[in-house]
Amino acid sequence: MVETSQTESPQPLLRVKELSKSFGGVRAVVAVSFDLYPGELLGVIGPNGSGKTTLVNLITGLVKPDAGLVEYQGRNITGWMPYRVARLGIARTFQMVRPFAALPAFKNLIIPLFSPRVRSLSGGKYGDRDSVAKDLLEEVGFERDSSVTYKPAGSLPHGYLKRLELAKCLALRPDLIILDELFSGLSIAELAGILPIIEKLLVGGTTIIMIEHRLRELFRIANRVVVLNYGRVIAQGKPADVMEQPDVKEAYLGTE
Amino acid sequence: MLEVTLIYGFVNSVILALVALGFSLTFGISGVSNFAYGAMYVLAGYVVWILMHKLAIPFFAAAALSVVLTAGLGAALYWFVLLRVRGMVLSEVIATFGVGLAILELFRYLGFTGFEYTLPSFTDGSIMIGSTYLDYQRVWIVGVGVFLAVGLYFFTHYTKLGLAFRGIAQEEKTALSLGINSDRVAGISVAFGSGLAAVAAILILPRGTISVNEGYDVLINAMAVCIIGGLGSTPGVIVASFIIGYAQMITDTFLGPHWKMIVSLVAILLILVIKPSGLFGKQKELEERM
Repeated sequence: MVETSQTESPQPLLRVKELSKSFGGVRAVVAVSFDLYPGELLGVIGPNGSGKTTLVNLITGLVKPDAGLVEYQGRNITGWMPYRVARLGIARTFQMVRPFAALPAFKNLIIPLFSPRVRSLSGGKYGDRDSVAKDLLEEVGFERDSSVTYKPAGSLPHGYLKRLELAKCLALRPDLIILDELFSGLSIAELAGILPIIEKLLVGGTTIIMIEHRLRELFRIANRVVVLNYGRVIAQGKPADVMEQPDVKEAYLGTE
Repeated sequence: MLEVTLIYGFVNSVILALVALGFSLTFGISGVSNFAYGAMYVLAGYVVWILMHKLAIPFFAAAALSVVLTAGLGAALYWFVLLRVRGMVLSEVIATFGVGLAILELFRYLGFTGFEYTLPSFTDGSIMIGSTYLDYQRVWIVGVGVFLAVGLYFFTHYTKLGLAFRGIAQEEKTALSLGINSDRVAGISVAFGSGLAAVAAILILPRGTISVNEGYDVLINAMAVCIIGGLGSTPGVIVASFIIGYAQMITDTFLGPHWKMIVSLVAILLILVIKPSGLFGKQKELEERM
């Protein structure tokens, strides 16, 4: 785990300031602010419907904010189209897995591997994408050259689809990965397989935001957490401290 | 008699597939129903004619230029018209149909009707299959039709743009999040579809005269094939083309040529009642709602 304090790197990688979004009369995200420093793993938690996924959509451009600011590497990216955000190196997974169902699993990775970002990072060459794709799948726990690699993504079991989501992100060679409930629906064994991958990413210097309901696993690896309730930040700080706060206890106990 | 029906039915089926491929490709990728498709087809024919007769450009150069111009017009249609109403299906249909109407009726207004508006065949002459004569133009149609169908398969399975096309078609949000500019890809898809309409026109129009009304017929045929095959499905296009192609040929032989267009319309009605998502359609929600 990489410990990064604010004094070491005063420049946040991502800065979210007073971000707000309403859908009709529902205030999904209300004046949310937080900073994210390079190498950090930030957990975003909160009850269902507290605005976590909307927050991710606002950062990555799938939803345009009503107000507020998103800054990445000091650049204002508020309201940018998702493909431009992705090209800057922000990758995300979806809570409801969204594979390219008709393409074989490894071909799913060809699409991010073709992005201009990957080409510029690898010196103007794409290389042998099929083999890069298979390497990436192996990295997230597909057995090398097993039949699942070649099956249409739509036919894969849930655990593999979650890994595939992660692999698609990795293919972009991102600096910031946003994982929207990556752990949901995974068995304990599958979790045990996927946690080390995330720890390895952190060691490699990747910055991560994790939206997660499985708090025990999240708290093992998170440096800080932000707690949302009804679209507002009700607490942020170290996992253990945050969970002691009465607001947070109430938000969780009140809904469960 | 049977031999003629078989051979000409086959050619007719390939013609339908050629006409429908572009419409289907555009819809399959971007979900845009390009109702200006028939107008693009006719326009491509007139452009070739104008280039040849007014600017004295040789046929094959004029044909190539026409394909490029029509594709460019498709891109312009996307950027200047469709982009503004993107996501509102009815508005997309009305906007593209309006543009198509304007193009077709402009040609009528300018007086582009008459027997002199014809395109030359690629090669003159004919071959014998059994005891049936088949002119070389129809051989060309079959050859290019098969080539395009196979080429499109390889394009969508093995090239960067093709994979991006399929990615957008299957999961636009994921593709966007992975750095694909879906508006650009959708624009290219409309351009590509329009270019295919031009290729179809240049192959098919030499069989008769170019007429404004053919624009409407082409649109109905392309829609019939796509609805019956399942919108956006390439295998569906091929199978549906053969079903309608032979049905039309049999109707033509036994009832008379006026009934040909009825076949397409009845086929649309039947499939919408029996299986609204089409033979190969994946839009199951359409089924569930029915």
